[in-house]
Amino acid sequence: MNDRLRPVMLEQAVQDARKPRRPLLARRYALEIRQQLAWYWQASIIGLALLVGLGLSAAILVAAGVPAGELLNEFVVLTVFDLQSLKAVLFQASPMILVGLAGCMAFRARFWNLGLEGQMIWGAIGATAISLFQIGPEALRLPLMFGAAVVCGLAWAVAPVLLKLRLSVNEIISTLMLNYLALNFLLHLLYGSWKDPRSSFPYSPQFQPFERLPDVLDGISAAVPLAVVVALLALWFLGLSRAGLYLRFVDANPRVAGAVGVPVRRMIVATVLLSGAMAGIAGFLVTAGQEGRLTQSFYQGYGFSGILIAFLARNNPIAALVVALLMAMLFVAGRSLQVFYQIPFSMVQLIQAILVICVASSDFFIRHRIRRVQGGES
Amino acid sequence: MSTLNAIQLTGVSKSFDGFMALAQADFTAKWGEVHALLGENGAGKSSLMNIAAGLYAPESGSLFIDDNPVRLSGPRDASRYRIGMVHQHFKLVKPFSVAENILLGLPEQPGNAVRGSHRQRLRALEARIGEKAAELGFAIDPCQATESLSVAEQQRVEILKVLLAGARILILDEPTAVLTDQEAERLLETVRSFARQGAAVILVTHKMSDVKRFADRVTVMRGGRTIQTLDPQSVSIAELVRLTVGESATTHAHQPGTPGEERLRVRGLRSPEVGGHRVLNGIDLSLRAGEIYGIAGVGGNGQSELANALMGLPEPTEGDIELIGFGDLRRASSEQRRALRIACIPADRYGTALAGELSVAENFGVGQIHGGRYGSFFRLRRKRLEEDAAAAIAGFDVQGVRSLKQKAALLSGGNAQKLVIAREFSREPQLVLVHSPSRGLDVRATAAVHGRLRTARDAGAAVLVISEDLDEVLALADRIGVMNAGRIVAEFPHPADRQAIGKAMVTHE
Repeated sequence: MNDRLRPVMLEQAVQDARKPRRPLLARRYALEIRQQLAWYWQASIIGLALLVGLGLSAAILVAAGVPAGELLNEFVVLTVFDLQSLKAVLFQASPMILVGLAGCMAFRARFWNLGLEGQMIWGAIGATAISLFQIGPEALRLPLMFGAAVVCGLAWAVAPVLLKLRLSVNEIISTLMLNYLALNFLLHLLYGSWKDPRSSFPYSPQFQPFERLPDVLDGISAAVPLAVVVALLALWFLGLSRAGLYLRFVDANPRVAGAVGVPVRRMIVATVLLSGAMAGIAGFLVTAGQEGRLTQSFYQGYGFSGILIAFLARNNPIAALVVALLMAMLFVAGRSLQVFYQIPFSMVQLIQAILVICVASSDFFIRHRIRRVQGGES
Repeated sequence: MSTLNAIQLTGVSKSFDGFMALAQADFTAKWGEVHALLGENGAGKSSLMNIAAGLYAPESGSLFIDDNPVRLSGPRDASRYRIGMVHQHFKLVKPFSVAENILLGLPEQPGNAVRGSHRQRLRALEARIGEKAAELGFAIDPCQATESLSVAEQQRVEILKVLLAGARILILDEPTAVLTDQEAERLLETVRSFARQGAAVILVTHKMSDVKRFADRVTVMRGGRTIQTLDPQSVSIAELVRLTVGESATTHAHQPGTPGEERLRVRGLRSPEVGGHRVLNGIDLSLRAGEIYGIAGVGGNGQSELANALMGLPEPTEGDIELIGFGDLRRASSEQRRALRIACIPADRYGTALAGELSVAENFGVGQIHGGRYGSFFRLRRKRLEEDAAAAIAGFDVQGVRSLKQKAALLSGGNAQKLVIAREFSREPQLVLVHSPSRGLDVRATAAVHGRLRTARDAGAAVLVISEDLDEVLALADRIGVMNAGRIVAEFPHPADRQAIGKAMVTHE
C-alpha cells in the first residue's frame, strides 16, 4: 500500500516544490493597520511591553552578579515598603516629575526640547544666585529663589523657540547644543567665582536653613507636594483648558490648526516657555531640596530622564507622575546596587534605555493588528 | 474581445473595524475589455480592487486569475500574476526621477536584470521607458524628477510603472478625477487601445460619461455589494445613476440668486516673480452678497494660490484683496476672520481643514472655541461642545459617525466634507470661500454640498467657488470667471455658454 501511494506522494511533493514559495510568517498571518484602539488595550500593550523590558533588565542584572532572589527585594521591597527608602524615592521623584512634565509640555507642541538639562541647570544657577548674593529678606528668600529658577529656566528656552519659529532652526540641535553651554557655564562658576571658599571643592557654599526647602510632613520634603501641584496644573493646562484643545490641533496638524484659527505660534511659544520654566523648577528642587547647594549633580542625567519619562508617559501629565516615581525607584535601587554589588550606576541608564526600546516597539502592536488568515487553497 | 476570464472575484467580503466594506461581492473582467466599476464613494470599489491588487487580504471569497484559484500575499505577488494598479493617490517618491520610481516598482525577474553598474541599468531602463512611452503616446522625460511633473504626467509615470513591471491586468482607480476633459479623453483612448491588444483594463470611476463612452462592460456597486453587470451601450445614464444611487437622485436646475452690494474686491493680485513667471498675474474680481461667483479653469493656472491667499493660508502676494468695510483681508487675524464670519472650505480636506487624528467633536468645536462659546480660556466646556457637535452632525447629515470621539480620519470623503461645512457654517457666514468642494465626492454628497452653498447664498452670503470641474461651476455659479495663466481672462453671466467657457479655459495668448 505504501508503495502504491508513493508515486502520488512524490508527485504531490514535486507540485508543492513548484508552488511559489512564501516566507514562513506570511503563510497564515496577515498584518493590518489599525485605525483605532480602545485606550485600555493601548494601556495593556504598553504595560506588557514594560513587563518584557523589566524581565530583560532583570536578566542583565542577574548576569551582572545580582542574585536573582534579591532583585525583588532591592527594587520593590526596599524601595517602597521601607519608610526611609520610600521617602528617598519620593524625594528623588520630585525633580524627575518636573522634568518629565516639562518634556510632556514641549512635546505636546511638537517641539523636541532636548534642552531640559540646560534649562534645569539655569534654574539651579538662578536660585543659587539669589542665595549667594543674599537678595531679599530671609522670609522671601525661598520664593525669590523659586522665581529666579522659573525665570532662568524659561529664558534658556527663549532662543531655541524663537529661532525655530523665525528662522526654522531645528530645535533638536539648538536645544541640545545649549545644554553644553549651560553645563560648561555651570562648571565655570563652580570651579571659579562660586567655589565654596571654605572647602575649595567645586560646589557653591551651603545654603542657609531658610534657603532650603522645608519638610512638610515627617521627613517628606516640600518638594513632593510642589511637584504634585505642578503636575495638576499641567493636567489642567493640557486637559481642561482651551489651550489643551489648541495644542492637540498644533500637535495633530499645524497647518490645519492655523487654518481653523488656532494661534499656533503663540501656543508653541507659550508651551515651550512653560516647559523651560518647569525644568527650571526642577533645577530649583535639586539645589534647594536635595543638595542644599549648587553642585554638579546634573551629571546624573536628569534631562535625559525627563525625555524618557515624557516619552513613556505618552505626554500625559498623570502618567508622567507615575513613570517618574518608577524612575526614581530605579535610581534609588541603582544606588544601593552600586553600594552592595558594585554594579556601575550606568546600569540604571541601560535599564532606562531597555524600557524605552520596549515601549517604543510596542507601538507597532498598537498601530498594527496581526490576524490569522483563514485557510484557503494556494 | 475574447471570452476568457482574466480576473474573477467571487463572494468577497471585507470589513474594517466592524464596518462592512465589502459583502459577498462578485466581479469578473475578461481579456481584451475595458471593464468599468461604477459606484458612489464608499460603495466598496477601491476596497474590491485593493483586494484584486493584493493590498488587502479578503476575509472570505476567492480570487481567480485565468480561471485558476490564486492567493495574493501582497502587491509584489500580484505583480507576478501581472496585475498592476494605479491608485487614486499616486505612490511616487517625489524627489526621485521617473526612471528611479519605475525601477522601484520592477519585480526582480531575470528579464529585468541588466548587468552592469546601477547607472548603466538605469540608462537601460530609461531607454525602455522611452520606448514604452512612445508606444503609448506619452511624452515623458525619464530623467526628470517626479515632483516637477504635472498631475497628468505623474499618472502616466504610474501607468508606465505597472506596465513595465509586466502588468496585463491594469486597474485604474478614479484615473480621470484629476485630469482635464482633454487629458482624460487621451488617457481613456490609450487604455482602450491597450485592452484591444488583449489586456484587461478595470476602470474604477464614478463618472457616468466615462463609462458610457469608453467601457465595454460595467459593474455597478452599492453599499459593498456588486449590484449588476451590464453593457453600458444598452442602458441610459439615468438608469446607471439609478443603479448606483439606489433611488433616483434629482438634479437641481440652476436658480439664480439676487446679488446685493459688493463684499469682496480683488485688484491686481500677483505672486512674486519667479523665473520671469508669475503664478498669479493680476487677478481682478468682484464678489457681491447673495451671489455665487464661480472660477473655472484647467487645474494649475493659479487656482490653489488664489484660494490660499483668500483663505488666509501662507501665500506671498501683492495687490489688493479688500473685504468691504474691513480692509485688507490678508491682514485679518484668524480671530478676526471668525468674527467677520468668513467660512473657508479648502480643497485639501485633511491637509488644511480637518485634523484626522483628532475626534469629530474636536474638529467641529475648534471653529467656535475662540468666541468663548465653549467656556472661557480656563475651562473648556466639553459637554456643550459635544452637544453642539451632535446637533450639527444630525443637521448636516454627516454619516458614519459612530461616536463623537471617533477620529475624523475615519470619515469618508463626503462625510468629512460635510463635517467641514457643518463647522464653517455653524455661524451664518457672510463670505464663503470654497475650493473644489465636491472633489472625490459621489453624486448624493455633491448634491448635498451644493445645496448648502445655495442656501448660504440665499441667506445673503457672498460665495466664491473655485473648481476645476466645469459641470460644478455651471451648476452653481451666477457669474463665471475663467482663470487662465494666473488671470481672470473672461467673465460670463448666467446662463453661460459651455463652449465659450471651454474655449477661454484653453486659449493661450
